[in-house]
This record gives sequence, C-alpha cells and structure tokens, in this order.
Amino acid sequence: MRRFPRLPALLAGLVVGVSAVSSAAEELTFVRLTPAQHQRAIHDVFGPGIRVDGSAEALGVRDRGLLALGARRSTLSAAELERYEALAQQVAAQVTEPARRATLIACRPAADDAPDDVCAARFVARAGRFLFRRPLTGGETDLYVAVARTAADTLDDYYAGLRAALAGMLVAPEFLFRVERSEPDPGDPGRLRLDAWSRASRLSFFLWDSAPDHLLLDAAESGGLLSPEGLDRQVERLLASPRAERGLRAFFSDLLELDRFATLSIDSSLFPRFTKNVEDDAREQTLRTIADHLLNRNRDYRDLFVTRDTFLTPPLAAIYGVPLPRSQELGGAVPWVPYRFPEGGSHVGLLGQVSFLALHSHPGRSSPTLRGQAVQQIFLCRTVPPPPPDVDFSLLQDTYNPDFRTTRDRLAEHRRNPACASCHNLTDPIGLTLEVFDAAGGYRTTENGAPIDAGGALNGRTYAGPAGLAEALRDEPRAASCFIERTFSYGAARPPTDGERAWLADVQAELVERGVKWRDLVRRIARHPDFYTVVPGAS
Amino acid sequence: MTSAGVRPRRFFRAGLAGAGLAAAVPALVLVLAGALPAASAETRGYVISMVHTATWGDTDTCPQGDNGGLADLKMRRLVRRGFSEEEARAVLAAGGVDGDGNRVPITALPRLNGREVNPGNVPVLVSDPEIRTAQGRFAFGFNLNGRVEPDSFENPASGERGVDNRMWRALGCFEVYQVRRPVRPYNEDIAWDTALDAMPAWLMSVSGSDLARGGGVTVTFDRALNVAMRDARGGVLSGATYVVDPDPRSHSVFAGRIEDGVLTIEPGGFSMQGESQFYAILRFTGTRLRLEMADDGSASGIIGGYQPWRDYFHYLAIRGEENAQVDLPGVYYAMKRLADGAPDPETGENTAISAAYWLEAVPAFHATPAGEIVAEAVGPGPELSGPAVRENVTLDPN
Repeated sequence: MRRFPRLPALLAGLVVGVSAVSSAAEELTFVRLTPAQHQRAIHDVFGPGIRVDGSAEALGVRDRGLLALGARRSTLSAAELERYEALAQQVAAQVTEPARRATLIACRPAADDAPDDVCAARFVARAGRFLFRRPLTGGETDLYVAVARTAADTLDDYYAGLRAALAGMLVAPEFLFRVERSEPDPGDPGRLRLDAWSRASRLSFFLWDSAPDHLLLDAAESGGLLSPEGLDRQVERLLASPRAERGLRAFFSDLLELDRFATLSIDSSLFPRFTKNVEDDAREQTLRTIADHLLNRNRDYRDLFVTRDTFLTPPLAAIYGVPLPRSQELGGAVPWVPYRFPEGGSHVGLLGQVSFLALHSHPGRSSPTLRGQAVQQIFLCRTVPPPPPDVDFSLLQDTYNPDFRTTRDRLAEHRRNPACASCHNLTDPIGLTLEVFDAAGGYRTTENGAPIDAGGALNGRTYAGPAGLAEALRDEPRAASCFIERTFSYGAARPPTDGERAWLADVQAELVERGVKWRDLVRRIARHPDFYTVVPGAS
Repeated sequence: MTSAGVRPRRFFRAGLAGAGLAAAVPALVLVLAGALPAASAETRGYVISMVHTATWGDTDTCPQGDNGGLADLKMRRLVRRGFSEEEARAVLAAGGVDGDGNRVPITALPRLNGREVNPGNVPVLVSDPEIRTAQGRFAFGFNLNGRVEPDSFENPASGERGVDNRMWRALGCFEVYQVRRPVRPYNEDIAWDTALDAMPAWLMSVSGSDLARGGGVTVTFDRALNVAMRDARGGVLSGATYVVDPDPRSHSVFAGRIEDGVLTIEPGGFSMQGESQFYAILRFTGTRLRLEMADDGSASGIIGGYQPWRDYFHYLAIRGEENAQVDLPGVYYAMKRLADGAPDPETGENTAISAAYWLEAVPAFHATPAGEIVAEAVGPGPELSGPAVRENVTLDPN
C-alpha cells in the first residue's frame, strides 16, 4: 500500500529553507498567528468554503495584558504541530478536490496521473505568495515543486502531489508565524526597519487581523509601501475597508481578554439565566457595542465607559432584566436589537456589560477584587500583584456568614491583614461599586438580605455607584494613555520603547483634546516610522 | 432604538373563546376586556412554565387495585387476542415473539374493513374494558357545580369540598398518574417538555391597582408569537420578553381577586391553542383558577373547569398507548361514561368532563407586536433562578 508522504519529513527541509532566507536579514522575529488569523489566512486565499475545523493552538500566553505580545514568545509544541498538520491535510485535500480545481488551480497539467513541474511551480508560487505573505525564494519553490513531484510520482496523481506541497506550505513556519525581517533604515543608518513585505504584514494584521491582500503585496513589491505617501494610501485604503471592523474586534477581544470566554464557568445552578446563548451573546454584545461606537459613530474611546447605547438579544435582555419586544423565529437567526439603557441606571458602559462582569467573577459569586484588578490592569495599565501564597480566603468564600453578609463586609475584615490591604486598596474601591451586579451580570440591590453599598473611589474621586465609576474612569488621564500604548503594543507585537512613548504621549495630548477616535489613533500609529522600526532583541 | 419602559395595555381584542366555546362566552367578559386596560395601574406578566394533570395518588385512590402500567396493558391486549396469561407472559418475555418465532402485534387489535387498526383511533371497535377508576377522598380541582355530592372530592391543598374532577376518576388508576407533586405524570411531562421548544408560549397577565395589596384584578391569558425560552437548567427562563399574539382564539379574560397571596377568578371561558402533539388545544368552560403568588414573582396552582373530554382523549390517542401508558379504549369509555358537563342539546349526552391541571408560571415581559410593553416581569423567578431584577430607575431631578 502506498502511503501519503508524512509532513514531518518535509519540515526539516522547510526549516533549512527559512534559515537560508533569514541569513541575509539583520533581525528576525516570529509572531505566531492567532487561531482566527490562521483560519482567516486560509479563507482569504482559498475562499470561505474551505473548512478549517477547530484550532490547533492551545490557550495563548498574555504578556503585559495582550496575547499579541505573548504571541511573539509563543512556540509550537509537538501536539500543536500535529494538529496543524491534520488541519493542513484537511485544507489541502479540499483545495485539490476535483470540484474546486477549476477555480483554485489555474494550470492544467499535461496529465492528471503524472508530475508536471511547470504547472506545480505556478501553483506553488502563486499560493505561496499569499500564504507566506511574500514571494517564495527560488529554493523554496524548488523544494515544494520537488515535494509535489515526488508525491505525484509515488501516487500516480498530479493533484495528490499538489496536495502534499500545499500541506507542506500550510505547516511551514513562514505560514504559521508572521516572520518579520529587518533591513537597515536608509534614512537613519544604524537603525533597523521592517522590510517591505514584513511592513505589509504588520499593517494588515494590525488593521484587518488578516494577511495582506494582493494590493498590499503589490505595494510591498513595488517599494511603494516604503514611501510615506505609499504607506498613507494603503493605511487609508485598509481603514476604509469593511475588514477594518475585523481588526478592531480582534484588538478589543485581546484587550478585554474575551478569549477567556472559552474557559468561563458560571454556575448555572446559581445563575440559570446565564445560558450558553448568553455566554456567546455577551461577547458579541461588547464587540458590537465597541464597533458601533468607534467605527459607525466615530465616538471617543473614553465614552465607551459611559455609553448606554448597546445591542441586546432576548437571552441577554432577560439577564439584564429589561424587556426586549422582539421575537426570534424557531431556529432563526439571533435578533440583535439596538438598545439604550435608561439614564440614571447602573448598566452603563463596558463595566456594566455581562462580558466584563462575568469574566471577572468567580463561578458562584461576584468578586470586587477580580473586577477591580481588571479595571486597573486592562484600562489603566497598572499591575496588581497576585496574592501571597499563604493568604486565608475562608472568610471571603463564606458567602452566607451571618456576621459578614455582604462582600464589602467580608473584604473589610480581610483588609485588616496589612499584607492583604495594600493590593486590595487598589482593587476593592473600584470593584465594590460593581457589587450591584452578580456573578452573571444581573442587577441586584441586596446580598443575603443586606443592602449593597455601591460607593467607591478611583484615585481619590469618590462616587456612589457604577455611573460615577464610569465617569471617573472616562476622565482618568491614564485611561487614554493606557489605551494608546496598548494599541501600539498590539500592532507592533512589542511594547513601545522609551523614545516611542514620547511620541505616543504627543499623540495622546493631541487626541485627548480632539477626542480619542479609533481611526485617528490607528492612523497616527500606522503612519509613524517608529511603528516599523525593529528593536534589536525584542524577540 | 428600543428603550425600557412600560405602559398600560391598550390593545383591545373582543373575542376570547375558541371554537366550541363561543356559546359559553359571557357578555361580562367582553365588558371586562374593553374596560381593563385603561384602568390598570399595574400589569404583571408571566409565561406558563408547566402544565400537567393535577394528580393526587394515595393508598385510597384505587382500593380494588389499579390498571397497572404499560406491561399490564400489553398483557391484557394479548389475553383479548386469545392468548392465555401464561402464553402472553411468554410472548412479552420473548420481546413480542410467539413460540413459533412469529412476531405478535400487541397494540393493533381491532379490525376495520379487514385491517387491523389502532384502538386509539377507533376505540368503539373494542368493547369497554371497564378500567378501574379513582376513588378516595382527595383530588385537586374545584367545586364546579356548587354542590357537595357523594362522589365529589376534597381538595387536599385548599380543603375545598365538593371538588368535581371526573377526569381524575378516569385516569387516576393508571400507574403513570399515580404520582404527586413534585413528581409529574411521566407521559405529560415528556409531552410538555417537547412542546415547550416548539409551540408558541402560553402567557398570563394580572392587572390591578396594587397587586402587592391584592383586591380585585383582571387575569388575562394569551398565546405568544415566540416559543418559551429556556434557562441554563432546562427550565423556563424568568424575565424574558414575549410578543402577544393578537389572535383572539387564545385570548381569555377573567375578573379575579388576590387575597392573602392567592389569585382566584370568576368562572368563565378559557381557550388556548397549543400547536403541540399533546395540547393541541386546552379549553374549559366554567373555568376556575387558584394560584399562589410567590414572593419571587412566580405563580403556581390549579386551573380547571369543564373540558371537552374528547380533547384529552385525543391527546392520549395521538401519543398512542406506548407513550400515553394507558388503555386507550378503557379511557375512552370511562371518560364518556363519567362526563359531567356541557350536555349535547340534541342527545343530552355530556360532552365535557370536570378536570383540573397544575399550572406554573414565571415572570415575563409582554409586548404587543408593535413593541409596546404591556406587562412587566416582576421578581426574580423561582428559587435559584438567579437574582437578576429590573432596576427601578429614578432620574436625579438635578
């Protein structure tokens, strides 16, 4: 029985290929594609009809608040590689199946049952340019053509050969990682900048969360992308595209840690309104709210903390305790209804949404500490250290203690321990305000029959409830600077240098006056030469 | 842009009764239907989360022994077919195969035009098997005719005497009905659970000047345009919103009263279309209601009245003996014999039977098809359904 060539045997050759390419580069960094980017890269090249079942990646690593930074440190485990190989075989089989050949494989071989190096080379070069986000080197093309030839010869099937070559490309580091190459900056000798192809990828993944399209690759190939005017044209084109919403959603999914929905566990026996539908809808509610706020309405980022405009589905409306007179056809699409929470109510801004409240709760109870910590870390870029290993949490977990009926009571007692107080003073005054929301995000006024005191303070500014907290956060200068720095870090997949922080501060000063608008911010970042500067050793 | 807020119900629908009940619609109800909306200071909405026959099985229910369960039914079928009890037992033990290896049809006994037919479809082809009927002192329900008679029951919960529940007599000696809450009749439990995901939800609203204090109220039943929503434990979600179907065929309005947290109504006609296998339609004349209004906003209790007995027989017949777990011809004859209401004007034969159903409801918003909120969901719902409540927003005048 003839066996289909196994990919690991090919990988050694590919790694050699990458090394050969990189030998001329000054600096080489690898940023692993997220599962969404991986799937999208395949769909962008071969069409959305290609099935990519599941994800090969284990949970990502968050570095300084972002998976995008962790992706730079991410490697491939053997198990992940095996999964990628299975996905590659699945995709390659679909691309080369007879029904798709006419649209996806332009060159017809001289014979279907024999190798055809000319046709194979055309396919490899064309697919490879999109998959690797740059033209293949002569050596790489030869390698994949050789793979195609060997497999076709062994199996007496030209398309089986293409399948083997494509599967090989789909597990190549050049595809699974954004391989960023540097070159000396001709305008500033001694500095390194991304080469044109890497610049195209950085720009595309930043603004679209996907690989460059052919126009962007053309701009890289022509060298136009290296000129300020050419770069501006591409930035404007990408921002005007509907794909810009994908980029925005990907950034906020990372910033708000929405990936944690995959492992979220809210106890359904305590919170039966928190169904699987609610879980899915809550994530979408937040992203839809943000996209509408920042893209459709071009509003200030800081107003996301105080906006009452959102979108709801029937299951979400039930958990928020509000009516939503919209029926859903049996088996029909989930109706998303624009909704405005009433003025004066507690459901305000991102902090009043189920996604934030549930993601930063324990399975069976709310957590002012987790919520306060999230506000500090996500929105204010402050680090809250983890608790010491010998802390006694028993009182905090004793939610029915008759002497400490509310979480505020229990935390006050807990903070009497000086070792605990320093960190809890950072988190609790914020999180206790959100105690009017249970672990599932539902509104409540009492805990164990005792009224909930929602008063709190942020940097010395006191407030009586969630609306006050939202306004304090909106007005907090650090909220804008944190957001701007996170946006840069996400796009560059590295934190800014001290020098870059200086111009980011200028950006902040300007935007705070004019409004921190998403397009204005990313336009300033994407057009700035520093965004494409390579920092030696950053990888 | 949708926004929170509730306004009194203003849409008017005149008809309330389904086909067959039109004659029973009192003019009073029409007056009520027109008068209630503008006068209502508060309207609470509910979605009905459970309906099943109100059963009360105890040791006195079947003093002569009961009709058994599915295995007993099959035995009787085979005996009627000519098998001895020993042979029938052997056939059943062999999975429906006789000693010669031939498959024995167990359920299709009677023949019509030379073909075997399901006895549930044509029960008159079978002679009355004279099933055992329920006796005893207690049964849920209401004193519908105002008399305390020798064969009437006593309500085990309210203590009301003279309870008319002939349907319980017909069904109460089948094993599947020999249960008490919180256990529900298995056949109906399955049917309701299936229907819940497929048929438009059933709604109830209560309007009054101050529902917390009680007093006179108006109780309205409607069907929704959307199906019931489930919570994470498979129950019916509290606090969801339902759009009221303007179709008058499932619209019933009653004058009612809340006293000591118990909601009752003046007798009237009730009709609700089900679009389900089991409850294709649920309808009563002389309808009574007794619901306990819980602090959590939910309601539970009994609804009953005179129900066309063929309605319930058809529920069972559609399910078949395997799923209904009753002797269908036996139930047919028993109900026909025990029917005690709505005499046919020509034959004098009673067409309805006194009956009682357990009913549970959880808070829900109601809206008109135009999006107007006409009933509020008040309260978090049953225990452990989650503490979410609707925030009572008051604007700062400053």
